Amino acid sequence: MVVDDHPMWRDAVERDLAASGLDVVAVAASGDEAITRFAASRPQVVVLDLQIPAPNGVEVTRTVLAQDPSARVLILSASGEQEDVLEALKAGATGYLVKSASRTDLLDAVRRVAGGGTVFTPGLAGLVLGEFRRISDPANQRPETPELTERETEVLRMVAKGWGSKQIAERLFISHRTVQNHVQNTLRKLQLHNRVELTRWAIEQGLDEVDEV
Amino acid sequence: MVAQGPGPAARLAVEDRLYAALAVLRVVVTLNFVALTIWRWDNFSRPGWTLVVVLAILLWTVVVQILYSVPSRRTTWLYVADLAVTMAALATTPWLKSENFRATTPGFWVMCVVLAWAIHWNWRGGVVAGAAVSLSDVVVRSAAITQTNYSNIFLLLLGGAVVGYMCQTLQQMSAERAVAERREAIAHERARLARAVHDGVLQVLALVQRRGSESTGDWAELGVLAGEQESALRALIHAQDTWSTSAVTGGAGDEGQPALLVRDLAGALERTVGTRVTVATPGRAVDLPTEVVDTLLGAVGACLDNVRLHVGLDAPAWVLLEDHGDRVVVSVRDEGPGIAAGRLEEARSQGRLGVSSSICGRLDEIGGTATVQTGSWGTEWELSVPRDQ
Repeated sequence: MVVDDHPMWRDAVERDLAASGLDVVAVAASGDEAITRFAASRPQVVVLDLQIPAPNGVEVTRTVLAQDPSARVLILSASGEQEDVLEALKAGATGYLVKSASRTDLLDAVRRVAGGGTVFTPGLAGLVLGEFRRISDPANQRPETPELTERETEVLRMVAKGWGSKQIAERLFISHRTVQNHVQNTLRKLQLHNRVELTRWAIEQGLDEVDEV
Repeated sequence: MVAQGPGPAARLAVEDRLYAALAVLRVVVTLNFVALTIWRWDNFSRPGWTLVVVLAILLWTVVVQILYSVPSRRTTWLYVADLAVTMAALATTPWLKSENFRATTPGFWVMCVVLAWAIHWNWRGGVVAGAAVSLSDVVVRSAAITQTNYSNIFLLLLGGAVVGYMCQTLQQMSAERAVAERREAIAHERARLARAVHDGVLQVLALVQRRGSESTGDWAELGVLAGEQESALRALIHAQDTWSTSAVTGGAGDEGQPALLVRDLAGALERTVGTRVTVATPGRAVDLPTEVVDTLLGAVGACLDNVRLHVGLDAPAWVLLEDHGDRVVVSVRDEGPGIAAGRLEEARSQGRLGVSSSICGRLDEIGGTATVQTGSWGTEWELSVPRDQ
């Protein structure tokens, strides 16, 4: 499924995907359309623009993954707003690509995400590194704050410096699969942390007050 | 004054509140006036007329109480009439009491009109009304002015001027705040619209770039140009976002803190590097002293120049900025052939100050370190600067 409010883009992406033999089961121009059509067409992969008419890409990611956790979300964004990308990732998206990426990059990314892999740009790896440093800062630290292992940090830093996963595997003498696992683990820890934070927030907002009423 | 912008509305709001306060004060001084009249009833030589005058003053009080509460009814005529009634009330005193009276009939009640003028015409109004009331007070007295009389007149004039000046200041501040709030709202709206426009432009530029990369000739060139513009616009947006947040923290900081001497390295990096360079940052502002940022940018520029010189003009490079809290690390990587073993030492022994020593020198200046790793996979510089909190 392709979600983008610009018809030009939607058509271009749809055409590219169809031309390479992939099956585009639905397209949508807004968050509402995306959520309704997702339920009807059950796509394996959602190629999602973040800047769409409400609800935004982050909300759509959260909603569709709650409906079908086996689906995969690939963010395809032109926006310069990096915070949004990080939020979408925390909500469960497993890939991020800028719109200026080439057609081969896009097809490769869709295939990789569909196969359960992750697609990280160097920029995204930098953001995730920054986010982990922020949450492990003594000022924000809580008992169950996830931390990256040394290897995970090393791999993530290499991704941020533009290393491809094959190059990383060669350099660190580990398998290509292991590199992918490390990247996926960092993402899983970030999403888990986000869920813990959301739960804590719900409790703080007065779930325990329900008894008193 | 022409009704323009939020200024007059804000002034009017202040005036309304002040008149509400004056209404309460007027009730207090009126009660005081009635009580004093009853207490000193024996001093009045014409009780019948005194009753008429007191009732007239009470009636007038009710009338102005109603009229002053509505902005559109606060006309010049009302102010003049209020002042005239007050002066007339003062003038009745020698006739109601004896020639050698001490306290006037309305007493402190006269301050209401002075304050009303002060609120409307600020310090000038306060002084004019105060002077008019004082003059009437002096004229109706046939006995010599006592020190108490003088003190009351002095306080009335002073009070009129001070209250008037304070009202003026309040109104000015309120108008200024209204203008500032309006500007802020406009800036917000503009930023919101700009975001939508920027997003659209970025989309189109990305599309042109994508189509361009699939074709040849002019179209390919157009694609490259679109790519350059896209990264320039992206960097500008990022710089604007981080500027707006750091401007807010800078403004709220201590007055001793020179807010201008701090600069965001993340935004600066994204703006300065070229299109063949990919920049990864923590996604939020990394504020450092300006000279540290300038030196680091110079060092990164030297690293990138090296890439262009030794690897190629179109060679890709990557820059990673990490904020470790106690230090900031910038890594610059390329995929060139690497620096041959011993070449750095060779250059140094020959006394040639190569690019690498210039990078190390720059980092030394700001108390940081520069290390280089090289191999068949390329070259990677790591520039680390400690951060003193």
